[in-house]
Amino acid sequence: MTELAFRMADDYKYGRGPDEDDEEEEEIEESSYKTQKDAVLFAIDVSKSMLTKPSDADSKKPDEALSPTVAALKCAYTLMQQRIISNPSDMMGILLFGTEKSKFQEGDDDGGRPGLQYPHCYLLTDLDVPAAADVKQLRTLVDDEEEAADLLQASSEEVSMANVLFCANQIFTTKAPNFSSRRLFLVTDNDFPHASSRDQRNSAAVRAKDLYDLGVTIELFPISHPDRGYTFDRSKFYNDIVYSSVPSDPDAPAPLAADIKTASSTATDGISLLQSLISSVASRSVPRRALFSNVPFEIGPGLKISIKGYKTLMRQAPKRTTYIYLPPDSDKPQIAVGSSTLVAEDNARTVEKAEVRKAFKFGGETVSFTEEELAKIKHFGDPVVRIIGFKPQSKLPIWASLQESTFIYPSEEDFIGSTRVFSALHQKLLKDQKFALAWYIPRRNASPRLVAVIPGAEERNETGEQQMPPGFWIKYLPFADDIREMPETNLVKAPDNVVDAMRFVVQQLQLPKAVYDPSKYPNPSLQWFYRILQALALEEDLPEQPDDKTLPRWKQIHKRAGKFVLDWGAQLETSFNEWQEENKANIKPATNGASKRTAASSSAPRGTKKVKDEDDDGGITDEQMRAAYSKNAISKYTVADMKAWMSTKGIKAAGGKKADYVDAITSHFETKMDVD
Amino acid sequence: MAGKEATVYIVDVGRTMGERKYGRTQTNLDWALEYVWDKITTTVATGRKTFNVGVLGLRTDETKNAMQDDEDYEHITVFQELGQMLMPDVRRLRNDLVVNKTSTGDAISALVIAIQMIAEKCKKLQYFRKIILITDARAPMQTEDLSQITKKLKEDNIELVILGVDFDDADYGFKEESKPGEKEEHEEILRTLCADCGGVFGTLAQAVDELQIPRTKSVKPTPTFKGLLTLGNPEMFEDSLTIDVERYAKTMKASPPSASSFAVRDGVSDATQSTATLSNGEGGGQDGDGLSNIQRTFTYQVDDEDAPGGKRDLQRDELSKGYEYGRTAVHISESDQNVVRFETQPGLDIIGFVEKKKYQRYLEMSRANVLVSQKHNDKASMALSSLIHALYELDTYAIGRLVSKENRDPKIVMLAPNIEREFECLYEIELPFAEDIRSYKFPPLDRVLTVSGKELKVHRNLPNDELQDAMSAYVDSMDLSTFVKDDEGEDAEYAPMDETYNPTLHRLQQVIKHRAVFPGAEPPPVFDILTKYSKPPDELVEQSQPVLDRVIKAGDVKKVPPKARGRRWSRKEAPKPLSDLDVAALLAQDPKRRTKRIDPQNAIPEFIQLLASDDTVKLEDMHDACKQLKFIIFDWIKHSMGNTGYGRALEGIRVMREQMNDYEEPAPFNDFLKELKKKVLGGELGGDRQEMWYRVRVNKMYPIFKEECSTSEYTEEEAKNFLRPT
Repeated sequence: MTELAFRMADDYKYGRGPDEDDEEEEEIEESSYKTQKDAVLFAIDVSKSMLTKPSDADSKKPDEALSPTVAALKCAYTLMQQRIISNPSDMMGILLFGTEKSKFQEGDDDGGRPGLQYPHCYLLTDLDVPAAADVKQLRTLVDDEEEAADLLQASSEEVSMANVLFCANQIFTTKAPNFSSRRLFLVTDNDFPHASSRDQRNSAAVRAKDLYDLGVTIELFPISHPDRGYTFDRSKFYNDIVYSSVPSDPDAPAPLAADIKTASSTATDGISLLQSLISSVASRSVPRRALFSNVPFEIGPGLKISIKGYKTLMRQAPKRTTYIYLPPDSDKPQIAVGSSTLVAEDNARTVEKAEVRKAFKFGGETVSFTEEELAKIKHFGDPVVRIIGFKPQSKLPIWASLQESTFIYPSEEDFIGSTRVFSALHQKLLKDQKFALAWYIPRRNASPRLVAVIPGAEERNETGEQQMPPGFWIKYLPFADDIREMPETNLVKAPDNVVDAMRFVVQQLQLPKAVYDPSKYPNPSLQWFYRILQALALEEDLPEQPDDKTLPRWKQIHKRAGKFVLDWGAQLETSFNEWQEENKANIKPATNGASKRTAASSSAPRGTKKVKDEDDDGGITDEQMRAAYSKNAISKYTVADMKAWMSTKGIKAAGGKKADYVDAITSHFETKMDVD
Repeated sequence: MAGKEATVYIVDVGRTMGERKYGRTQTNLDWALEYVWDKITTTVATGRKTFNVGVLGLRTDETKNAMQDDEDYEHITVFQELGQMLMPDVRRLRNDLVVNKTSTGDAISALVIAIQMIAEKCKKLQYFRKIILITDARAPMQTEDLSQITKKLKEDNIELVILGVDFDDADYGFKEESKPGEKEEHEEILRTLCADCGGVFGTLAQAVDELQIPRTKSVKPTPTFKGLLTLGNPEMFEDSLTIDVERYAKTMKASPPSASSFAVRDGVSDATQSTATLSNGEGGGQDGDGLSNIQRTFTYQVDDEDAPGGKRDLQRDELSKGYEYGRTAVHISESDQNVVRFETQPGLDIIGFVEKKKYQRYLEMSRANVLVSQKHNDKASMALSSLIHALYELDTYAIGRLVSKENRDPKIVMLAPNIEREFECLYEIELPFAEDIRSYKFPPLDRVLTVSGKELKVHRNLPNDELQDAMSAYVDSMDLSTFVKDDEGEDAEYAPMDETYNPTLHRLQQVIKHRAVFPGAEPPPVFDILTKYSKPPDELVEQSQPVLDRVIKAGDVKKVPPKARGRRWSRKEAPKPLSDLDVAALLAQDPKRRTKRIDPQNAIPEFIQLLASDDTVKLEDMHDACKQLKFIIFDWIKHSMGNTGYGRALEGIRVMREQMNDYEEPAPFNDFLKELKKKVLGGELGGDRQEMWYRVRVNKMYPIFKEECSTSEYTEEEAKNFLRPT
């Protein structure tokens, strides 16, 4: 991970000037984190066996009747669409191997003999940020069997794996030479290529080592055929090709690669090959990028261990608009790349980054410091997660939240033994439901924060796949500065019978397993945005209805809780009327004679227990305004509300500002009091 | 609180204020000014026009005020009329507020003037009115009119604060021994006055002390959503539930003051040299600081094969709006923008309920809000109260879908009940969507799964019983929830959130205010409270030392010595595939590689392998490998069409740097970089290759420097400078 620092800045466009400004540290850090780009090349086997549909397929379930190659292509298609949304600047490519046809990169014709360099390798989609045309081509291939039949023909002779791997090597070398993450996703059902040739297997192993040294990780997605009694055996060949991330040590933690289960070409337990491929690929779709790897975790004075931090939670938002150039002579819009220059306001000359001075605005002028002074002022020590003690988790109020937490996991990089100490702390805090309070400086000269270091248990689903990794979460705690004042309220406590009635409602509507499972709730506006964008990019008909999984299941709610809601409504009605009776004395009639407060909710439709604001149409009553005046709290009302109230009194404000309205109302009462 | 303010400071600058008492190195006046400046600059820093500040000098040699013809009002000077205070005023006041020679001047008269100033400014309007008097009470006062003054202060709703130099204060625990008789008398008069008008009376020492307790900015609560909390669909079914609610912020990150960018004006010598004279613009230009605002201008480029350099410059008005779908541009005209909009109706819909004990707080995505019932809606208050209590009693949270305004994107939120004696609400925090979570997988921490599929409970990465036991004792010993006791001897929480302050924010505010008043001075020291929670409390550390020692011993954590990372003479074993196949042996047999000529097509792997090969034992071999790669890199640049080959060249440079650093042999790389710079900037590699060098710079391909590798001749500074294209 240490070499990453050298790669991150690659994304800046020439002409913008090296941006070493750490003033807006948070943003910079985030953006450079994102520029660690990822390139994924799918290599899909197109052998006879891979092209054979499962024999016992259920014809009603088209997904289960796909040949492994087509399933893999569909999976790649799905991933491509997802990555356009989630990793818009990352690259992807698709290489078919074992095909009758051969094709390599454009301009590699080699004197009219295309692809002869890598026979039986067909570069379907060159490694690049996907274009709409790539998506379209891929979809045509998976949707149109005739189209596919032409291309998807297995070659009669065996393809050389050494060649396939070197072909991938060349694709990565030329198209993504300095990406921090480069991965080859290999999909095959052949666990023993070159079964008869040790030499051929050895050259493949050598080419695999080349990829390893180049920095390319091979992720194997193996396929078995239970219907043919065939189980994929990694030890025959692929264990010579795939490297673990840790040095060879039989007792080392299993590399994550082995996490990928062998998919079965026939549906098992209702899970089709396509589904299991998609799920395996999804678990690999984002490369694991550390947010930081050099912040020591200080458990006590004199006890430091090394950790790495990861941004496991990150809000995905639709891309913002960009500037597009529509050439007059073509209908193909182009993306315009912007760059900015700094210009001094006084004489419009261009300002170099080095000439820029930072100053604070103060009293109509500026107050400035030298860079060294400022660095010293902001310096509260080196980056660290330093535990200052422990508290029970019950002492962490639920509202103590500011932003997404950062996940941390031990590393042996700087301190040998970190993992066992981390584990001991993790197990203890999990068991006792405690958290550590810590002083956290994430980067050099970053603002220190107080954070809760909360233990998170490992979670796995029914099939044993990890849903949440075990580790600690760094949760930012609010400082006093970050805690807001609460609004004034007039609390009317609900009597027990109303609470009891509500309890029945709540008990009917528990979510499955009584937890919120984020994977069940895709972001509807994000999905809609990209569906529309995709349709526009591919020049298709626009979809009509968004698919919104976040909408409550109204029918279920009606069926399960409806009668309890009605009962609650009745209880509330009675209790509220009783309450009103009791508190009548406190409610003075408004100036127009009618007590506004008695008009509650009669306007709500019958049966719907709509609790409507009695003042909804009437605005602020005189009484409320007088009360606000005497409490010096007129300004709590909005300008619109004040305006409405004043118009009933014929008062006018001296100006358009809120303060002017407040003043006008204040003086209204002041003069009125004199009369009284 | 937002609103209008009028504050008049009355500062005693009489002769006795020049004394230094009780071992203080400051004069009484300087001490008093610490307080005054802090308060005034806090106001200036807000930049609000409606915060008016006035300053009166008491016991000045001169006399200048509205009633100066009356001899009762002698030796009182209005230094600053009520108004917004700006930097020039601050500078002027700094010269005005100095010790005078005068001994007389009536504090009560100054109060009268201050009251009048406020009355004139504020009339009957709504203002927050305040007078702050700071004095050593050594001058006589006329007390006949005191009752009238009290009445007027109360009538006008003016808050009076009197701070005295060495005033007695039993609460604070200060008593001035051998206090002059007349001072005692005067103190008593002022104390009575304050008591009568409900003001604040205190000793200066306390006021100055309290300056270091950070003040938090209070923000008026304003709703961010007003609408219906709904369960069910009222349009479809009659048995639906709706409650009028309002949403307010509970937590919101307060941001430290941020610096703006400026350019030094022409004709002004470099601004970094002397910031003191910069912000102190006496005699300087109108703005006083010699800085000019900076604007950002944008230019755009598109690929164009016919244009020189393959790029064409465009102005913004030649462009349209659109989106990127992968690398495809999608044009959406201004009028069609709404096709991508996801239409929504405002509201908060309950999706269902979850168990509190299964709720994972690490999923939270945002700051917290509160939901309360609609203002003045008693029925909604009762209805919401029933939901809050039901959730509380069932240990349950609600999950909802919130749209705060029409056509805003929906959010998933969790709602948790909160019940206090006079306040109830639901706390609301955003939860992630499916797309917001990255499925990173990590091995378990309580067991080890081996490659062969075994599950181990004993392993060097797992704690043994002693470590677990020691850690457990340590955690228990370092408990902060019982560490401090409150006044009643009950356990009190250490570092509760409302007593912790953002260090950067308050530190920056402190030094900015300080520099504004004292441009030439060093920034003052950091207030202790800002760093109080940067380490565990000493007492706790001391008490826990024995258990911590046990953890350290059992943990046996060893720092990886920096040397161990180097591979020069103690090579790590070459990485092997899962099967442990001896790839190195295969490589050694490979006929192509035995020539030790690096194939440009496969340059990087072969370079690394050549270095790692058993045959590479001598330095010359290493140097030769670098030399081969060097020529390959030159070739890549030379034959690059435009910038197409730069990425590859850069990767070559990066790998050579990394490898030579690892082998602690900086010379070949550093020499290569020198040659590269000369060739690239000298146009020797196929024409203008400026951009190539630019990329070397932004990717920080420094020469390997001493701090990384001791045998280098470059310091870090020199290495960085080396990359400048000169």
